[in-house]
Amino acid sequence: MIEFKGVNKWFGKLHVLNQIDLKISKGEVLVICGPSGSGKSTLIRCINKLEPIQSGEIIVNEKSVHDPSANLTKIREEIGFIFQQFHLYPHMTALQNIMLAPVNVKKISKAKAEKIARQKLERVGLDEKADAYPGQLSGGQQQRVAIARGLAMSPEIMLFDEPTSALDPEMIGEVLDVMVSLASEGITMCVVTHEMGFAKKVADRVLFMDEGKIIETGTPTDFFDNPKTDRAADFISKILTH
Amino acid sequence: MLANFNFRIIFEYLPLFLNGLKFTFLISLVALALALVTGIIACACRISGLKFLKYPVIAYIEVIRSTPLLVQIYFLYFGLPTLGIRVPEIQTGIIALMLNSGAYIAEIIRAGISSVDQGQIEAGQSSGLNYFQRMRFIILPQALGVTVPPLLGQAIVLVKDTALLSLISVMELTRSGQTMTSERFMPSEAFLTVAFFYMCIYFCLKALADWSQKKLIFREAY
Amino acid sequence: MMAFYFSRLVEIFPFFLKGLWMTTKVAFLSLIICTLIGFILGMIRSGNNRILKWIIGTYVAFARGTPFVVQIFIVFFIFPEWGLQLEAFPAALLAMAIMGSAFICEIVASGINAIPKGQWESASSSGLTKLQQLRLVILPQSMKVIVPPLVGQYVLLIKDTSVVSVIGVMELTRVGWVTVVRIPEGLMVFALVGILYFSISYPLILLSNYLEQRMAL
Repeated sequence: MIEFKGVNKWFGKLHVLNQIDLKISKGEVLVICGPSGSGKSTLIRCINKLEPIQSGEIIVNEKSVHDPSANLTKIREEIGFIFQQFHLYPHMTALQNIMLAPVNVKKISKAKAEKIARQKLERVGLDEKADAYPGQLSGGQQQRVAIARGLAMSPEIMLFDEPTSALDPEMIGEVLDVMVSLASEGITMCVVTHEMGFAKKVADRVLFMDEGKIIETGTPTDFFDNPKTDRAADFISKILTH
Repeated sequence: MLANFNFRIIFEYLPLFLNGLKFTFLISLVALALALVTGIIACACRISGLKFLKYPVIAYIEVIRSTPLLVQIYFLYFGLPTLGIRVPEIQTGIIALMLNSGAYIAEIIRAGISSVDQGQIEAGQSSGLNYFQRMRFIILPQALGVTVPPLLGQAIVLVKDTALLSLISVMELTRSGQTMTSERFMPSEAFLTVAFFYMCIYFCLKALADWSQKKLIFREAY
Repeated sequence: MMAFYFSRLVEIFPFFLKGLWMTTKVAFLSLIICTLIGFILGMIRSGNNRILKWIIGTYVAFARGTPFVVQIFIVFFIFPEWGLQLEAFPAALLAMAIMGSAFICEIVASGINAIPKGQWESASSSGLTKLQQLRLVILPQSMKVIVPPLVGQYVLLIKDTSVVSVIGVMELTRVGWVTVVRIPEGLMVFALVGILYFSISYPLILLSNYLEQRMAL
């Protein structure tokens, strides 16, 4: 479903993605972890071309994302992206935030889009907040609205860039719960996160990155209990000690 | 000093002042409207990324910002006739004000647009919205709040700038003061009255600017 | 015909340079005076004396609410009625001083007010007097906030010197104005004037942009 073939990316002299080869199958839940600067956020940002790549190919649903002739709009319709800082539009209500893309990109009628939007809000447990502005919502609530916004386009793939890192500890749980329930629905998910509890619960595979390279991959049990590389073992011990 | 202040003379000349005030209003309004249009077009060219649009506009803005308005006014007033273009002074003045404020407005709008958080734009991109849709739904509504106060500031500057048109014989407020001074030689009564009228306009516009500052700003909530 | 006028322009170019020199003199002296007075007023304005703040506030409102050309007329035509008769050059300096100090006062006051209260508190806890706190702790930090808009204001003041041409000071704009009577090529004459202004303003604008970027880091 998603394939990286020999992908390389530089920020100036910094080699942020180093010869990445990766295959993600349909319905798979992939967790990507690693120290800061390892390139994990950059990796998923390249999937929907928020970042360009200098060499190699990324194929999503048989379409080559970074090909200049690619229909980026069509590709992005099938991918939902959740940001660390949520990035809800502050001048629109939760409902309007969710309806914006379905109405203007998929050209769905306003009435139908509203139905879908309310459905998704219910899905994330926030149906009573439909008319609230982002400024009136807590961080956890905003992130859940952001997830509803992503789901409203009925994407086959959902990408999460450290979705809980900007949240106060007591709100992390409500967002992770939503993500866990999504995982059981068969959506392909790529999640960059430090939340290892989440990984152990629902991930099909864990990817460990450092300095732009994929160092190790494996099932959660294999990865956490028997890491094959020293660097991975070192990383795991550091995050598990708090 | 104030004991000799002749209020009666001021009432006698009031029609002249009010006529000048009327022209100041009209010129300011027309010039501001035209400057807004100029500024929007210039800004659109500036951020377009197309080199043949971008560079001439940058040159235009830098020339306007580096030369005095009075020189720009004289350039048009003395220069247009040499090209065979005969334009009444009031229109020459409006064109000069339009070009001058237009450049500053272009920069104000540009600053407003760049103030919208990059993350918002990425969120829009990720849902498949194209450039125009992002502009229309995400960027412009938020840029508005940041843009209106400085625009009102520029409006205040523009009203004061209209006073320079008195030097090319346009019958606006300052010229009324000059006329009264040349007829009666009572500069105190003439120019203090003129100053008073300008202060009134200033306080109104300033109140509007302060009010809009509070009302129109949307910030991302974390 | 144009070639004839162009050659005449070249002939009297030194006249333009003299005008540029006069502009520089007016601008330079005004900037120094305005900066000194502006800083003092700004420090008082950001202080605690309500009456002084109000007086300065009224003065600033007047300077910012009326056109500069009107202020020049007031200094040149009305001050004599109140006992202060000045020639054109000193009158121009006085008018620039009144106007420029008001704007610089506001820039300085904003800069000082931008420094968090905590700095005042920690300075006073070490026993420094109010004046010492201002001079040694607050003002140095506020310079970062003050300098970029200050340089921008200098550019505006240099351009405002063109308005003193109305009371007969033979600076660059007035040179253009008297020249265009004898060499009726308005475009050439004022294009030349514009280029000369550009040559002194544009470097300052670049400096101001550079300083703004440095400050944002």
